[in-house]
Amino acid sequence: MKRTKAPHARKSAGNAPARFKVGDRVRVKDLPNMFYSRTQMYARGVSGTIAACTYQDLIPEDEAFNQEGRLEQYYIVRFRQKDLWEEYPSEKDTLQTEFPDRWLEPA
Amino acid sequence: MQTTHQHAGGGHEHKAAPTVEEITDFEVLEIAVRELAIEHGLFTAEDHRRFTEWAESIGPAAGSRLVAKAWTDPAFKARLLADGTAACKEIGIDWAEPTGFGTPSDYMNFRVLEDTPTLHHVIVCTLCSCYPRPLLGMSPEWYRSTNYRRRLVRWPREVLAEFGLILPPEVEIRVEDSNQKCRFIVLPVRPSGTENWTEEQLAAIVTRDCMIGVALPRPGRTADVHPVHKARHPVHSSPSMRAAE
Repeated sequence: MKRTKAPHARKSAGNAPARFKVGDRVRVKDLPNMFYSRTQMYARGVSGTIAACTYQDLIPEDEAFNQEGRLEQYYIVRFRQKDLWEEYPSEKDTLQTEFPDRWLEPA
Repeated sequence: MQTTHQHAGGGHEHKAAPTVEEITDFEVLEIAVRELAIEHGLFTAEDHRRFTEWAESIGPAAGSRLVAKAWTDPAFKARLLADGTAACKEIGIDWAEPTGFGTPSDYMNFRVLEDTPTLHHVIVCTLCSCYPRPLLGMSPEWYRSTNYRRRLVRWPREVLAEFGLILPPEVEIRVEDSNQKCRFIVLPVRPSGTENWTEEQLAAIVTRDCMIGVALPRPGRTADVHPVHKARHPVHSSPSMRAAE
């Protein structure tokens, strides 16, 4: 059985430099959905803090259709629940989720 | 099973309604691709069955061992928090299996979320059902339900309370929505009353739900003990039974 390396296993150093570092404040862009996205609506337009720089990988928008595509740095972003849901009752609680570079901008 | 009652001619006629099996477009697609692959000799039906049998037989035992080792070995815990995927190999779990690069849903970016007395993690995948399968096996039915997925991110305290886990307001709840390629488990706080326990004893109380974050480990509560709720009015203590004795 012929096996090709999975796209997510390919590492391309230097191809997608990390624009952000842990602790940076970022805002999730509210871009139009072109065919496919893994950026949840609840996070669009909301600001949070980079909690981790995770890995470089294909962006979902390309990977959904192609084996080849653009590689980007991914980040885990930490949000205050209160910033995601206005009526959230606790100041303390948080939520983390992950985004490729293109979905984030400095806040 | 649904039945229909028809009151005609004084008699009761019970008709069993057929169970309708729903199948999604994605299931149809999976069957079509699988049958094509078998026809073209990429693998056999037997290969497919064996893989399914193996994949579905993985349980949460490896995750329990991982947590128990982290509780007893601070150096291992440090390695685990620094590089989860690499540390898993120390307990015999290789995220690259069985293809050499994981599976299309078990990517090789594993991270451990460490709880503290003032921070509690809980995992969800709002987009689908991303789950640390090499460590915990297949996800429970409720984890994949839209109910859990859409409500946990928004009302985590209420959803945890439905699992019987009520956390005080001074504990920060951190929801981890694993909707890209990182996979997570929760490393709970080692409960008191487990001092001098062996790794094996500790692993027994780290049940699946503790590693998802909807429960806390507790001495005496293990996955292998079938929970039986005592009947309030057991049949053998009814007055008629007592009279017959």
